[in-house]
Amino acid sequence: MSAANTVRTLRLGFFYMLLNLKTIYRQPAALFFVVAFPIMFLVIFSSLLTFEIGIPEEAGGQVPVVTFSQYFVAGIMGVAIFGTSFNLLGTSLAIQQFDGTLKQLAATPLPRTSFFIGLVGTALTYTVLQLIIMLILGVVAYGIDLPDAAGWLTLIWIVLLGVPAGCVLGIAITKIIPSANAAPAVIQAPFIILQFISGVFFTLASLPTALQWIAGVFPLRWIAQGLRSVFLPDAYRYAEPGMSWQLELAAIVLAVWIVVGLGLSVLTFKWDRSG
Amino acid sequence: MPPAISISGVTKQYGPVTAVDSVDLEIEAGQVYALLGPNGAGKTTLIEILEGYRQRDAGHVSVLGFDPQRQRGELNRRVGIVLQRSTPMEGLTPREMLNFSARLYDDPMNTDDALELVGLAEHADRRGSKLSGGQKRRLDLATSVIGNPDLIFLDEPTTGFDATARRQAWEVVRGLTARGATVILTTHYLDEAEHLAQKIGLIKDGRIIFEGDIAGLRREMETETRISWQPPNELDLTELPGEWQPIRAGPDGRLSLPTQSPTVDLSRLIEWARQRGLDEIPELQVERPDLEEMYLELVDDSQSLGQAEGS
Repeated sequence: MSAANTVRTLRLGFFYMLLNLKTIYRQPAALFFVVAFPIMFLVIFSSLLTFEIGIPEEAGGQVPVVTFSQYFVAGIMGVAIFGTSFNLLGTSLAIQQFDGTLKQLAATPLPRTSFFIGLVGTALTYTVLQLIIMLILGVVAYGIDLPDAAGWLTLIWIVLLGVPAGCVLGIAITKIIPSANAAPAVIQAPFIILQFISGVFFTLASLPTALQWIAGVFPLRWIAQGLRSVFLPDAYRYAEPGMSWQLELAAIVLAVWIVVGLGLSVLTFKWDRSG
Repeated sequence: MPPAISISGVTKQYGPVTAVDSVDLEIEAGQVYALLGPNGAGKTTLIEILEGYRQRDAGHVSVLGFDPQRQRGELNRRVGIVLQRSTPMEGLTPREMLNFSARLYDDPMNTDDALELVGLAEHADRRGSKLSGGQKRRLDLATSVIGNPDLIFLDEPTTGFDATARRQAWEVVRGLTARGATVILTTHYLDEAEHLAQKIGLIKDGRIIFEGDIAGLRREMETETRISWQPPNELDLTELPGEWQPIRAGPDGRLSLPTQSPTVDLSRLIEWARQRGLDEIPELQVERPDLEEMYLELVDDSQSLGQAEGS
């Protein structure tokens, strides 16, 4: 690909992203489900559950106690990072496959790479927006401690890897969506299950090993664990599997999802199921 | 100038059904060509092969010098496509859609000109969800021409329109064709083909059964004369002379005999009736049906076979 072509592809990807942002922004229902849902969870849980989290025994009693909100913000931000992209792409792509929007788009000179860049960019923008709202709410309303410099850095790479990984699953799940009407149900079922087995609401260690393994295949578990390293004191890693934050492994799993998953799901993507 | 489209032996099979059956076609650059035929005749399948949506099973296809199956990327830069179904993004306005579309092409039209061309200028800033069916269709047309294409595909651009909306759409299509692009239009309305196209290909059961202008189609199809009458109840139909088959019966029981030699057949009919004591044949008529009637019969005929369009 020549330099001029690369510039064109990126430029058109950017404009396709703007088009998508605008479309979603103008649909109150989509905006609510995609953007407001995790924020609502944060508010409800943090308001209801005000107890403090106990000390892991392995740390020898030197661990500072944290509020429930401090613990929960990590998990729910993980849901925002993974879920926004997964829900957004899964639902909108399925609908557009069935109503002929993508059929029409496939007849234009929009490069396919630009199309997918635009989608990931859309998910990334709305995710960052949510995270900012959550952080402000968390600090102002629930007294959450902000991460240190290393924590911010971790947060940033988790967002940059987590969102595309969520997009990959969103693109992939369209394959098993039988009709536009079925899209929300087909997408919500695995999403809800993943939330419960990925350490968002319950600690990973409290889950049966088999469920831990299943969760370990998907991105959400690694995103949530990485975020706990950002928001919890270091000693809390003793409560994690292997008594470590497993950040390297998280980066590898997310990268594999992006490289292998994106390639496969893009190559087998169906542009037209309207017939 | 080389032809805009040149295809030969193009065939597409869906299971036991041959949707497109070894079609040859040549369409001159700058021409408006109508692919006319009833539902299920293979129009959409054929046009989608030309557009690059469907893979042919056999045959050779050249569209603007490209093979749509292998060079769709290049082709997409130079063609505009209006599909059967409108799908504007509901949250966006025509202006926003067109501004985006214009960015995709090397040498696009001005958005305002495109809006003007299809008569959408006054609704340019209305959300897609608030546009009427006809306005959505205009937006489709504007989207298809914004890139200044050399070739425009219009797949049933007015299906589902009332008479007024159809006439307005024709005006818009005429405006597009005046820009010099080649246009291929599919339609099952004879009058639409007559109003818009210089050349007509009549397609039935996956084959082109006629090609030429509307006057030629008229000459081709209006050769037949029909003798029809209402048979009296007491006469047995099986007594009719064998070589007169097939005789078409209308819903009211009226019999109709297509013939190339009306004088001979009429005197034979009168003789046959007289032998049975019938001096006056009820409601006897000798007529030459016009193109519209012939076409409607053709359409009805294939609809009764229960074939579905495309897919």
